[in-house]
Amino acid sequence: MVTIRDLHFAYRRRTVFSGLSLDLAPGHIYGLMGRNGTGKSTLLRSIGGFLFPRQGNIDVLGYTPGKRQPDFLQRIFLLPEELFLPPLPVRRWVRVQAAFYPRFSQEQFDKSAAGFSLPLDGRLDEMSYGQQKKVLICFALATNADLLLMDEPTNGLDIVSKSQFRKVMAGAVDANNCIVISTHQVKDLENLIDRVTIIDEGRILFDQTIDAISRTLLFRLSHDPQETATAIYSESSFRGNALILPNSTGEENAPDLEMLYKAVMLRGKQLNLLFK
Amino acid sequence: MNHHSGINQTFSFDRWTKLLLLHWTVNRKRYLLALPAMAGLLLVWESFILAMNTFQPLDRGFQGMTYYAGLYAVGCLYASMTFAESGTKAQGIAWLATPASALEKLLCGLLYSAIAFFVVYNLAFYLVDIPMVRIANGLIENGRRTWPGGPRIDPVQIFDMSKGGLNDHADESDHLFVLFYFALQSAFALGSIYFDRYAFVKTGVAVVIALGCFMILQQRIIDPTLPHGWHRQNFYDWIVDWDTLRARGVRLSPTLGTVLGAMLIYGIPVVLWTATYFRIKEKEV
Repeated sequence: MVTIRDLHFAYRRRTVFSGLSLDLAPGHIYGLMGRNGTGKSTLLRSIGGFLFPRQGNIDVLGYTPGKRQPDFLQRIFLLPEELFLPPLPVRRWVRVQAAFYPRFSQEQFDKSAAGFSLPLDGRLDEMSYGQQKKVLICFALATNADLLLMDEPTNGLDIVSKSQFRKVMAGAVDANNCIVISTHQVKDLENLIDRVTIIDEGRILFDQTIDAISRTLLFRLSHDPQETATAIYSESSFRGNALILPNSTGEENAPDLEMLYKAVMLRGKQLNLLFK
Repeated sequence: MNHHSGINQTFSFDRWTKLLLLHWTVNRKRYLLALPAMAGLLLVWESFILAMNTFQPLDRGFQGMTYYAGLYAVGCLYASMTFAESGTKAQGIAWLATPASALEKLLCGLLYSAIAFFVVYNLAFYLVDIPMVRIANGLIENGRRTWPGGPRIDPVQIFDMSKGGLNDHADESDHLFVLFYFALQSAFALGSIYFDRYAFVKTGVAVVIALGCFMILQQRIIDPTLPHGWHRQNFYDWIVDWDTLRARGVRLSPTLGTVLGAMLIYGIPVVLWTATYFRIKEKEV
């Protein structure tokens, strides 16, 4: 669905990507993680055709994103971190905007909006940032776009809304579409994403499915100093040592994404070796 | 690999009308307020002149100058906001992500800032100007004089923008001011997508610099290449010994002169709109 080869990108003198390659397949929710300023938003905007590669190729659904052809724009949706919604009643904005998306479902929009308890009779400019974000999330899902790019979608959402977000998103992916969620709040994506892609300084540091991670790595709490010594990554806490170990027994476990992220940042090479 | 091309990806009337509706829905308050705002300002200005100018209130030359001053100032200001939404990250993404082609976005912007504005401006101008001229003529008929006992003042005529000329007795059409307005307006529309911030001021400076460069090019580079004693009169005529009885001239053929003139008068907006189209295509946010 998305093929990126040898992507080079720079803002004036600041190089963001120098040779990044990545493949995104349909049927997945990708979690794109990385530190602030590491290129997550730049990558999403490059995939969406809002930034052009200085070198290399991006192919999305058979289109060159930078050409921004209307057919292409109908099939993708980018939820940016910084929102702009005009000062209009919600329903009127939805009506004029939805006309551009042939697969838009009003029913789906209303259902997601009800899930978020959104007041649809209000005006967009009278809503809080979090509410505006929810409107855009509902709209994005209702477009039934093949590729949904979400930049920090949980920023500004309260705790209940974050849980609702996970619920709504989990039902949004099918075999034909793909969702990419960029975030540095990795906890928000737990039990939602099925593939983790971590980028740093314009490189892919780690790119594995959640299944592969739970098959290969074991996340557990331990008080055993010997076990702690063999861990790839450990953190001490009041409840004991939180460890990441090689999963040599094939024990089922749920990855702790925050720990995984820190482990990748500190022991990326060692971790990646386990997946080979 | 890209198999998705064709005329439908460049222009679709159906998609363009949706874009016009979206643009109108988002901006209609601003546009609807513009008409009374412009009419109000004109009313204040013409009332002031009517009260102050006892010689010939609201003569056609004055009306014309008011018309063009307002058209140039407000029109260029509006034009500098044509694609202002592309200047910020949040608005720019929303605008570029709207599933419409660059040509449709260009034509939508130009329809509102160039054509609709021109129509609305004329509407606002004549809504105020026609009654004000009637009031002025009423004052004249009621015996207003330049000074007590002085000669009668001729009735004031309404400025006819379809003829364009400022002269009170002009019969021939002269659309140079209007055509130059569209050229200038198109420069400000280009500036609105070229400059992310302060587009009006930056475009104004760029236009002044461009005109300055053009004059320098003419006077310092082109004119010195003419044979000794020859001078340029305008874009089509050159003359030698102009201050003597032996004055002779060289003129481009009428066809060539007409073509060159048309290119200068009508070509500038077309060239700048084309540049705006490519700028929309290459815009990054």
